[in-house]
Amino acid sequence: MAVGADVQITDLTADDHACLTFGEPEELFDLTAAFVRDGLASGMKVVWVSDSPQRATAELARRGIAVESALAAGQLTAAECEGRLLVGQEFDAGRAMDWLTSQMAACRPEGFPGLRLAVDMSWALRPVTGVEQLPDFEEGVAAALSGSTVSVLCQYDREGFDPVTLATVSAFHTDSVAAATYYADAMLRICRQYAPPGIRLAGEIDYQHAEQLALALTEAIRFEGDITVNMTALTFIDGSCARMIVDATRGVAASRTVALHCHPAIAATFELLGADDLAGVSLVSMHDR
Amino acid sequence: MTDDARRRLRPGVNMAAGDGESPALDQVFDGDSLYALRAAVAAHGSQAGLSEGRTRDLVLAVHELAANAVRHGAGQGRLRLWAAHDAVRCEVSDEGAPGEADGADAARWRAEPGHGLWLVRRIADSASVESGASGTVAAVTFRRVRS
Repeated sequence: MAVGADVQITDLTADDHACLTFGEPEELFDLTAAFVRDGLASGMKVVWVSDSPQRATAELARRGIAVESALAAGQLTAAECEGRLLVGQEFDAGRAMDWLTSQMAACRPEGFPGLRLAVDMSWALRPVTGVEQLPDFEEGVAAALSGSTVSVLCQYDREGFDPVTLATVSAFHTDSVAAATYYADAMLRICRQYAPPGIRLAGEIDYQHAEQLALALTEAIRFEGDITVNMTALTFIDGSCARMIVDATRGVAASRTVALHCHPAIAATFELLGADDLAGVSLVSMHDR
Repeated sequence: MTDDARRRLRPGVNMAAGDGESPALDQVFDGDSLYALRAAVAAHGSQAGLSEGRTRDLVLAVHELAANAVRHGAGQGRLRLWAAHDAVRCEVSDEGAPGEADGADAARWRAEPGHGLWLVRRIADSASVESGASGTVAAVTFRRVRS
């Protein structure tokens, strides 16, 4: 099984064993929310195993997923790694595989055609006994999924894991998933947002990256549905980029809405340009979470 | 820019702090250092007692003027900032001469609604742009308590 080039999170299908590498929490939560959303929409059971199930469900809810009803219906489960992948901070590949196969077996009797499982791998960055069995586990997952109606999304922090470990485990995955990125350096990141769909800007942006911003906006508009421009991690935008965003919203069909999420400092620039008076555009000013 | 040219270019904005006193911030910039310029102006605006919102406006105004100098003027320029007891004043100057192919000419700056100079005029308490044979000087003033 070869690892393909980066695929979009929204393109994953049954029996995929995808490796999500993320650079920041926003990217992790955004991509996972899309994975969960699409799984719920297609009637699958969805399980997300992470260090903090509470944070996981809160982040899903913040991204427009009907968490409460999915949890109540038993379609969505947010669980801790401990007791599933780990027992007493000890990892055993065989025991973890037993847990996985039990989850795979349980979903059909529960009335679901398949399972989507997201697995936060950050436990492997802690001093956990048996962590050297991680490649065995990933290899076991790959074998178990083949031909099944189950897909697994393994989540690796690309800043935290060393390149050798990442290369070793990624070889057992069918797909490599990351956010489509239009620009990224130490000062600025422009990438696609998946849940809710749109684009995300972080850092400081001015006219020097207008070209990449234009491309990101054009692609976001090309997709269907409402658009979110997530600027909550943006600390500066100049007049030309703010104007470009406002102008782009004018080209969006009246049946679609555009939400501009940003801090008050950024919102003020958009207010100067009259964005708050445009039909179909909502300027959502948010303070630090 | 020679001292002589600088004297000639002194804009006609009456602000006691600008005359004679050495600036609190004197920084040259080009397209690659606008980020550092914004950071320096933010620090000085805040230190001078401007509110968070007015400091943000000051940064945006200086950025727009500096970006104009980079894009439509000499490609580089100089920012000077004076902090008086009641206001912060900034001068952005560049040496692009009008009439040159890519020279500075305030008349060519985009001042229609939504563009750089329009934004600057909306947010600054006062703003002026003067072009001469030796370049362009743009000045903005931000009072501490907006009237």
